[in-house]
Amino acid sequence: MGGQNGQVSRRDFLKTAAAGLALSLGGKPGFLAAKEEHDLVVISGDPAAATKGALEAMGGISRFVAKGTRVVLKPNMSFSNPPEWGSTTHPLVVATVAQACIDAGAQRVVVLDYPLRPAELCLKRTGIQAACKPIKGVHVLALEDRKFFREVKVPQGKVLDRVEVFKEVLDSDVLINLPQAKTHSATGVSLGIKNLMGLIWDRYSFHSRYNINQALADLATVIKPQLTILDATRALVSGGPGGPGEVQKPNLVIAGIDPVAVDSYGVSVAPWYGQNFKGRQVEHLLVAHQRGLGKIDLEQLQVFKGKA
Amino acid sequence: MRTFLQALSLLIFSILFIFANYRLPDWLPADVYLRLDPLLGLSAVLAGKEVISRALWSLIILGSTLVVGRFFCAYVCPMGATIDFLEFTSFRKKNRQGFKNEAGWRKVKSFLFILFLSSALAGLSLAYLMDPLPFLTRFYTFFLYPLFITVINLLLDLLRPLFDTLGWIGVAHLHYTQPVYYMTFITFLIFAAIIALSRFAPRFWCRYLCPLGALLSFISPLGLFKRRVSPECNECLKCQKACPMGAIQPDPKRTNLPECIQCRTCAEVCPKGAVSFPFLSSGKREAKLGGEYSGTAFSRRGFLYSFAGGLSVAFLAGRTPFTPLQGKHQLIRPPGAVLESEFLHTCIRCGECMKSCLTNTLQPCFWESGLSGLWTPKMDLRFAPCEQNCNVCGKVCPTQAIRSLSLEEKTHAKVGTAVLRKELCLVWAQDKLCLICDEICPYNAIVFRTVEGYRRPVVIASRCNGCGFCEQRCPIQGESAIVVNPNGEIRLKEGSYVQQAKKLQLEFKPDPGDDKYVLDQSGFKAGERKDSEKSGAPGGTKPPQKPKGFL
Repeated sequence: MGGQNGQVSRRDFLKTAAAGLALSLGGKPGFLAAKEEHDLVVISGDPAAATKGALEAMGGISRFVAKGTRVVLKPNMSFSNPPEWGSTTHPLVVATVAQACIDAGAQRVVVLDYPLRPAELCLKRTGIQAACKPIKGVHVLALEDRKFFREVKVPQGKVLDRVEVFKEVLDSDVLINLPQAKTHSATGVSLGIKNLMGLIWDRYSFHSRYNINQALADLATVIKPQLTILDATRALVSGGPGGPGEVQKPNLVIAGIDPVAVDSYGVSVAPWYGQNFKGRQVEHLLVAHQRGLGKIDLEQLQVFKGKA
Repeated sequence: MRTFLQALSLLIFSILFIFANYRLPDWLPADVYLRLDPLLGLSAVLAGKEVISRALWSLIILGSTLVVGRFFCAYVCPMGATIDFLEFTSFRKKNRQGFKNEAGWRKVKSFLFILFLSSALAGLSLAYLMDPLPFLTRFYTFFLYPLFITVINLLLDLLRPLFDTLGWIGVAHLHYTQPVYYMTFITFLIFAAIIALSRFAPRFWCRYLCPLGALLSFISPLGLFKRRVSPECNECLKCQKACPMGAIQPDPKRTNLPECIQCRTCAEVCPKGAVSFPFLSSGKREAKLGGEYSGTAFSRRGFLYSFAGGLSVAFLAGRTPFTPLQGKHQLIRPPGAVLESEFLHTCIRCGECMKSCLTNTLQPCFWESGLSGLWTPKMDLRFAPCEQNCNVCGKVCPTQAIRSLSLEEKTHAKVGTAVLRKELCLVWAQDKLCLICDEICPYNAIVFRTVEGYRRPVVIASRCNGCGFCEQRCPIQGESAIVVNPNGEIRLKEGSYVQQAKKLQLEFKPDPGDDKYVLDQSGFKAGERKDSEKSGAPGGTKPPQKPKGFL
């Protein structure tokens, strides 16, 4: 729309300004308003494009990330495996969201996990560090020391009284959960809510001391991501959570605000251990739903489906 | 000049030490100082009764000593540099006389040298105790390196708020995992004692104790550079006092050649400039050696005594139950460790493997395998596991007591087998929903099977390579409910571990379909494999209907 010598002509300027004014006077554009009513957004495509599409369909990242905010992204990078194994979030999903947060004016974006394997190897072999490196203002951290955690109370906890959570999460404004869809030998599947376990210090007590399904629901009452973007571009349908196992390719990215709804939809996109399940059949999701943390029945959900 | 070269050598030694970690590139020999050590090479070759290729590097030092003289002690030896530095800081102003019976004390190191060689000949490797390079490497590994990390972390903690306000988020979250070792205190005490001895005489260690110095002193008089004193000497004896090795005779024109380390301190302090170290070509050599050369302070009787001493130490050390037990030892050795008895012969206890270990699982032995096993590496798998993407321990082993293996080979170098102890296991004993061993196992060697109607973890031995992730992560207090036992370890002197594992029908690349098999067993729609295994569930109890976590 520039003039021939690279300057903006007055006419072009006026046209654009008028269009902008009209848009803002007219209120929210129709397509945006419609999408905000969806509970879930499901976009198929390759990791980067589908993630981009999902963010757009959710009404843009700026709905969640305001200028100058501190953002934490929680991918699953707990295992030192390459993305093809389906045990960790695809690096391009992480990088796409990180870039969007930066573009929306986030003050700092921290990609954070408490890995199960040696941290350095996880950062390297998952490809997440390399994918985020070119984006200025994004920091990829795999922390393994207790000093980075702070204890918080769990007022609505049934089995958990208190839990130590990453300070970075507690001190930030926005948490975006970026789980990988995979099987899990204790909880059936590991999706968004299970992914939150990577933000706490003492996760072993979940297995040894508590009923893990109750404890996960308790955890979901204190760590509440503003947005969950489930990476189901690949799904590790057996051998989870660490793999190796059978990897299927649903090629989907599922985004939503309701953590139970996202997970419940996630359950339906692949056969886990060779079987089809519903969200209701996953104990920790059902418990979370019964505790009022979100909708679980897909029939009640407004799902926007698209292709990237 | 000498100080500079010494400092440089110490620096290179330290940098190579720091580089010895899992990222070590294949082309960089981080253990080069230890490879260059002729005493270690000789001892390992004698004890192991075979040529070790990495030990051939030490011919460089032997050859250059033959040409130049005993320069190694003054310019290269990082232990010498450390001693010089610490003497400068601690004992500079002290009046240090040395001993009355100098010559007698000097023999000690030669006796030690002979003792170590003869004990090696009889199959007990002892040189590591006093050889300066493994000695210093041990001190670095077990004391200096953990201390260094502690200090760095303290500094980082202190500056963390500052980094955070500056927006340096990466640095603000930087934290180095603190390495810890069992033998830190002992190693430190021995080192401190050695340094304290310098209170009595400069370079006490080098003069009287160092067996490597003894070896070099045997051949150094053949070197081509020698101390010459010109007639301008006024016998002020400054050089005699300054010589760190005490190698200048009461008559300052005469030099105790085996003890001279060519440091040229005498030339620097001489007010007349009468001391020089000219190159002596072979023609003139015979003539000039004459009066100056005083032979090695060594007697036939001393030789015989120390030779016999070494043999008897080795004999006695071998006559313990530890020796017959070497065939059924309890220790988990690092992947790629050669057969136990050969391993004990060739391991020089430098601690490089333990320093470089990514997870800190490699720990020094104390008395677990007797006198012959002090400081040898073992895996403490309750403390830390062995990471499958790391093979650095073999890469840095200077005598290849741990073979340098590719990642693929190392994966197949099985170190033991996990054994589940049902009476401790939360699932077996208490019906808890624990699955941590199964979750963490990198090889899917732990699977859940239906036993008497309940889903229970079991170990598939043919898939377990003993990495120990399960043992380390087991959430019960105290001893783990799943413990790696040396049973089934593969230790090869040569040849391929992959081949051997194949021969033994081991498979460390797991079959992803195993979980489906669990589903079949737990009452789901049968797959094809239903009939492949007979169901272990008897009538009475209710078999679970779905995999864990599903309702």
